[in-house]
Amino acid sequence: MQLTLASHPIKELRFGANTRLEGTILVIAEDELHDVALQVPGIESVDFAIVRPGESCRAGPIFDVVEPRAKAPGGSPDWPGILSAPRTAGRGTTHVLTGAAVTLVREQSPGESRGALGYVLEMSGAAAAGSHYATLNHLIVIPHTQPGLPAHAQQKSYRSAELRVAVFLARTALDAIPERTQEFDLSVDESRSALPRVAYVGQIFSRQRKPEPDEQILYGADTDGMLPTLLHPNEWLDGALLPSYHVSLGGAETYFYQNHPVISELYRRHEARELNFAGTVATVASADNFDRERNTRFAASLVKWALKANACVLTKFGGGVPHTDLSETARILECDGIKTAVQVTDLARDRRVESALLFNYPEVNAIVCIGGNSTKWRVPPVARVIAANSGVAEMLAGPFEIESLNVVGVANQQGASRLRSMVY
Amino acid sequence: MRVVHYLNQFFGGVGGEESADLTLEARNGAVGPGKLLEQLLGGEAQVVMSLVCGDNYAVENQQAMLAAALEKIAEAKADLFVAGPCFQAGRYGMAAGALCCAVQSKIGIPVITGMARENPGADLYREPLFIIDSGDNPAKMRDVLTRMASLAKKLVGKEAVGYPKEEGYIPRGLIRDQFVEQTAAERLVQMVLAKVKGEPFESEMTAPVFAPVPMPTGVKDLGKAKLMLITDGGLVPKGNPDKIQGSAATRWGSYSIQDCAELRGENYEISHGGYDPQFVRQDPNRLVPLDVMREFEREGAIGELCNVFFSTSGLANPLSNTRRMGREMAEKAKQLGIDAIILTST
Repeated sequence: MQLTLASHPIKELRFGANTRLEGTILVIAEDELHDVALQVPGIESVDFAIVRPGESCRAGPIFDVVEPRAKAPGGSPDWPGILSAPRTAGRGTTHVLTGAAVTLVREQSPGESRGALGYVLEMSGAAAAGSHYATLNHLIVIPHTQPGLPAHAQQKSYRSAELRVAVFLARTALDAIPERTQEFDLSVDESRSALPRVAYVGQIFSRQRKPEPDEQILYGADTDGMLPTLLHPNEWLDGALLPSYHVSLGGAETYFYQNHPVISELYRRHEARELNFAGTVATVASADNFDRERNTRFAASLVKWALKANACVLTKFGGGVPHTDLSETARILECDGIKTAVQVTDLARDRRVESALLFNYPEVNAIVCIGGNSTKWRVPPVARVIAANSGVAEMLAGPFEIESLNVVGVANQQGASRLRSMVY
Repeated sequence: MRVVHYLNQFFGGVGGEESADLTLEARNGAVGPGKLLEQLLGGEAQVVMSLVCGDNYAVENQQAMLAAALEKIAEAKADLFVAGPCFQAGRYGMAAGALCCAVQSKIGIPVITGMARENPGADLYREPLFIIDSGDNPAKMRDVLTRMASLAKKLVGKEAVGYPKEEGYIPRGLIRDQFVEQTAAERLVQMVLAKVKGEPFESEMTAPVFAPVPMPTGVKDLGKAKLMLITDGGLVPKGNPDKIQGSAATRWGSYSIQDCAELRGENYEISHGGYDPQFVRQDPNRLVPLDVMREFEREGAIGELCNVFFSTSGLANPLSNTRRMGREMAEKAKQLGIDAIILTST
């Protein structure tokens, strides 16, 4: 399976008469975007705003961040299972507006265990410095859904709107000449046989929560009843996967599936002939021990027998319990002679090492730990607050104290975080 | 900088084991390794007082020793308190650790000590203190004092303190955040490649090691036993009267179930953000199985069920909280004459 990403760097977003790409400037016609977004059931009206890196601006609560991408004819479709038929993602050419993002704000404070703020996009200051998202030019989508819409239907509208807008924008690049193209191909020949085969096992949902009735996570499926499944790395990058609606399972955005940090790094080292990227397994964190035993053994078997890997990296999704699925899978792999490294998130509210992990398997001894619990910022009032209504805008006005976990992108669980827990 | 230095009888030049009962003595100026310490601290640093105490006396009369020492240190108007280094000497390490803690909390000046990692004082005091890893060889005195002096100067100057490897102190078992150059994904792949090649790698977190919890003796006659239900699933009466936090809870509650045959959803709510609460909301007996316990009670399978249950939220709860709450709950259960407890979690 070969995927070509054709990059069109974007330096500026600008509202104008016709949506078009002018070199590195993406001109956006608001009325055209309205037409796109208003096709989505449940959306009554919609506003848009453009936000630049470094601008004194705050937006929130963030529902999701998407990189504008559009598939060239002949390959996989756009967002299979969601906007298109559920055909295999990851084939053919995808045009990418790099440096740009379509970012949708929620209409209400999400609550749950992330607090009232949910996720906030900070575009300047110290909090912004910790997030890749502060370096992007954002088109903020501000939806207004029908009153009384149930939460799951509202969020399905959000998802559909952000993806449709993103694809619409990226289609401006279909006939343009990309600045660079990058091939993603796993072919391995004899000359590489001495390199270690490294696999990736990534959790894509946590059964700490039920998926919403029409939640679209994997090719439009909600993952309920799902067993660990093999995916080609290109499928992750090219539209097979979306993060959950559940804010408490956060730290994942569509943008970092499209630009998956672990998959990108494995591909980079594959290209550099440091390893053979053996493939990936998408899995879920379990709700109970029976489910856990089945899922962890299933995932480990795929890594061993289907991918024939001799090393594996694993990431989690969601809260604390997924650490157990992560570590148990790694333990089983280690017992089978497959070397592992795992990425965990910060659980130690008391800043003590003894509270940091939910496992103590001697074999699972290569641990990357994303920090977060001792990083917060006092953020000032900003020139522009972007929110769906005055209630939310008031909440985001500042000054207030914000924890790193509430700044979108900082404590990302897909591998993008530069925040590290340091033991001292 | 005015410095007070604590030494045991041996390093204080009084004598060996035969002098271990020496009571605390204050001397003017530096004694023994204190002279080198003064030199290494440099500048205007002056060891204005040395406290010398026998190892046995310090450990056996710890409270008296601490009180006397605190008084002297306060009188000396010290800017810095230094104890040891103690190397492998266990009683010396215990006394130095206790003193440093007391000075840090009661007088509020910077403190520093040095010990071998195996010193029992290191185990007890590594978390609240900076303890320079001295190793067990007193011949390395200059090297150890150099690192102690260097870190002490930073503490006095309120400068940022680096990591154990850079500064030479024994890891305290604490965590702080830092932004680093590499993304988590880059670190992850690098680590697994090192592991697969058999090269050294540094895990960013180490797994905790816990002392085994001994299995309690079984209940002799369940038919006569008084049982209790405790949950960390966050079930609380409507309105959450004790304001038990849904995450990292610091509080727990005791709730009456007297004369209740079962728990009813309309009377309770869930303060726990880590699981899907709808099933417990529908029927709280799924979490706190009062209905079944009442059946057992009627059948005589158990003697009696306690007329309260305890509840807290286990979500993202650090051990320092849960350990304390566990002790408080156990204490209360003992007062209530409980023979056995069923713990339910989510």
